[in-house]
Amino acid sequence: MAAPVVLVAVLLAGAVGVQVVRDRGWSPYQPPNPLLWVQSGPLLQRLVLGFDSLAADIYWMRAVVYYGGKRRATGPQLSYDALYPLLDLVTSLDPHFRVAYRFGSVFLTEAYPAGAGRPDLAIQLLQRGIARDHGRWEYFYDIGFVYYWWLRDYQKAAEWFLKGAEQPGAAEWLKPLAATTLATGGHRETSRQMWTQLLNSDMTFIRSQAELRLAQLDAMDTIAAVTPVLQRFIDREQRIPRSWQELAAAERLARVPADPTGVPFVFDPKLGFIDVSPKSRLWPLPIESRAHVTPQLP
Amino acid sequence: MPAAIETQELTKDFLVGFWRPRPYRALDGLTLSIEAGEVFGFLGPNGAGKSTTLKLLLQLIYPTNGTARILGKPAGEVEVRRRIGYLPENPYFYDDLTAEEVLSYFASLFGLRGADVARRVSTVLDDVGIAAERRMRLRGFSKGMLQRVGLAQAILNEPDVLFLDEPMSGLDPIGRRQVRDLILSLRQRGCTVFFSSHILPDAEALCSRVAIVVQGRLVANGAVSEIAEFQLTGWELVAADVNESLRSSIAGRARKVTSIGAGRFVIDLPPEVGPDRVLAELAAGGAHIVSLNPHRETLEDYFIRQVSAAAPRQTGID
Amino acid sequence: MRAMVLVAGAVFRESVRDRVPYSMVMFAILLMAASYAISQLTAGQDMKIIKDLGLASMSVFGMLIAVFLGIGLVSKEVERKSIFALLAKPVTRTQFVLGKYLGLVATLVINLAVMTLAFYAVLAFMDLTAGPEKLVWPAPALDPRLLIAILLIIAEVAVVTAVALFFSTFSSPLLSALLTLGLWTAGHFGSDLRNFGTVVDSAPMIAIARVLYYVLPNLAPFDVKAEVVHGFPVAARHVAYTLAYGGLYAGVLLTAAVAIFRRRDFK
Repeated sequence: MAAPVVLVAVLLAGAVGVQVVRDRGWSPYQPPNPLLWVQSGPLLQRLVLGFDSLAADIYWMRAVVYYGGKRRATGPQLSYDALYPLLDLVTSLDPHFRVAYRFGSVFLTEAYPAGAGRPDLAIQLLQRGIARDHGRWEYFYDIGFVYYWWLRDYQKAAEWFLKGAEQPGAAEWLKPLAATTLATGGHRETSRQMWTQLLNSDMTFIRSQAELRLAQLDAMDTIAAVTPVLQRFIDREQRIPRSWQELAAAERLARVPADPTGVPFVFDPKLGFIDVSPKSRLWPLPIESRAHVTPQLP
Repeated sequence: MPAAIETQELTKDFLVGFWRPRPYRALDGLTLSIEAGEVFGFLGPNGAGKSTTLKLLLQLIYPTNGTARILGKPAGEVEVRRRIGYLPENPYFYDDLTAEEVLSYFASLFGLRGADVARRVSTVLDDVGIAAERRMRLRGFSKGMLQRVGLAQAILNEPDVLFLDEPMSGLDPIGRRQVRDLILSLRQRGCTVFFSSHILPDAEALCSRVAIVVQGRLVANGAVSEIAEFQLTGWELVAADVNESLRSSIAGRARKVTSIGAGRFVIDLPPEVGPDRVLAELAAGGAHIVSLNPHRETLEDYFIRQVSAAAPRQTGID
Repeated sequence: MRAMVLVAGAVFRESVRDRVPYSMVMFAILLMAASYAISQLTAGQDMKIIKDLGLASMSVFGMLIAVFLGIGLVSKEVERKSIFALLAKPVTRTQFVLGKYLGLVATLVINLAVMTLAFYAVLAFMDLTAGPEKLVWPAPALDPRLLIAILLIIAEVAVVTAVALFFSTFSSPLLSALLTLGLWTAGHFGSDLRNFGTVVDSAPMIAIARVLYYVLPNLAPFDVKAEVVHGFPVAARHVAYTLAYGGLYAGVLLTAAVAIFRRRDFK
């Protein structure tokens, strides 16, 4: 008995060794659009012989793996081309796949290279959700959100928030949100209000998104608080400080300020610009509130 | 010279039951020694352990305990297998091959080549009487024909030791006769034959020695005539043209006299009387003898007695 | 050695009589021929589609022959008890198992060779009848590189046969078929297992995926159909390593199959 076990072990070790060596110089062929032999939802629906819902689950997993894989990949050819067709198939196969609409729109809107950077497609997807999966105020809210956060079209955002508020069972904070959006769109406080609502979401992914955004908003608050100090230095010295240390010493700052994740802010001595460090998980900050945190240069 | 077949305390347990397998003793401590040139009958009722013993000797299964040696070497060695033949119970081969192809394949495995293969295959096909069907696929073969193919493949290599598992099963009377003749001719050649059967007349007609196995245990081993249990239980005599005085004179000694019409009678004689004097008397009285048959206890009667005498069978082993 | 070759020869002879491989080969050839009709419906990409379909039918039908004959190789003999007479002959159980394997691999090589001839015939016909669309073909019609893809298909099918044989030494044909098809499917997700780390953060999950990647048969590298069809180069190194891997992995399976088979009782 011992002899076959040894032989199996030796051969298996050999097989593993060959794989390790081979895999150094090889990766499976990735055609430009690898995933979708069948791009038509109705055709696929017939092909899966009634297992629509299961097929939708499988395509959803593929969409998630595709998105995740692309997001972590590096290289010039990075593209999310197949993401929308995949999501389209998922939601054709199962029109009530709520997660696919909501997460899918996040994947699509997220700025490139972390996401497809396609808010237009996100809105298209969510509108399909509204058409196919009736009466869900969340889709209206999500569209409003895309307008607010990514397209900075506060008028449109408020319109969608209001439409959402008219849906049965809609959250009661939608109406006030619409009002605030109209009045003070683009302000950090309004943004904070929206993300805080999303903290109550029953979806972990949405909650963690909200936590991240709120932390970014906190970081921007800090930057906004430090910017007047920097402005004071620039006004007095008629130049940008050479480093954080110089600024801190001159303005008697206790220490180099850090973002909510504990990573110190970085300071660009050429542009006089305070930002979260690229090492921080909060990087990059959304551009919307830059105006509030950019000092007047000499 | 070593015994042709020799087993020492050969024991086999099978695991039975799916969820909680427990050992079941199919063969219990079989010790046998069979000399070269013997025709040995291995008898027992169905399920007694006959096939198990044969498979152990062929190493199709491995013993739980004990050893088996054939021609002085451990059973199962390739060297041993070159010199033995085996007919499995209800043999089965390859549906899509012809009798000739199967036998050629096996003949090549025995090391024959080229024209030798064809020659040897033709000989054994003739020996077992299926030369006419040699080109037919086995799919169309009857049970009896498959049995013959089985015999043919068992004697392909002119074996020194031949194992036959129920060689007569599935054969018609003519087939049985042929197999009997085949075994006798192999014995002439000096081949040791070990065959299992549950039919006593087969053994009586062929065997120099028999062993009886019941419920996995050896219960008797010796020449057929030596095994006391098979001794005479009486005679059955059929006579015609028996007149009344003759009838009444014999009736006193017979256990029973039954008329079967027109002066014909079946006369049942006890073993101690013996037929000789009765026959002489009948002949003198003008009667004709139609038939005379000895009555022996059958193997089945014997098995039944053995089984009921044995302690209630235990399903498991401690 | 001779006994092994004889067992292999018997497998080959029996499979020649069996209708299963014939029907599979016929079906594959029909599919290749049908691809001609399909290609009429697609603009410009006809050659690619014919090659795709041809290579895919070889791969799928080769695999099906391997599975459906492979699972019966040993278990059928055991079930029908033909093994009793055979193992009483001077054949070791090792020779028996290896002979069965070689016999089926030989059968598969012949079947795939027939499919290859038919495939090239269809391609040659296309080449002769094609007009100016030839200019947009990514690779010539009678591209000898197709043979690289076919070689690796044969190697993959040989591994699948070993998988089927391995299962058939200890389980029923139906179960063996399911297990083999399952492993075949899993084998084509090998790259996903390898790249699991790029999708998931959990270290134990990544470790498990890694172990599975190396222990399960990894069949994805045998698939260079897309590269060949698009006319991209396939590194000789890759082919050599993959063939070596196939040999070693089949060796693992056969060793295990022999070890199991040698200990079995044939009741």
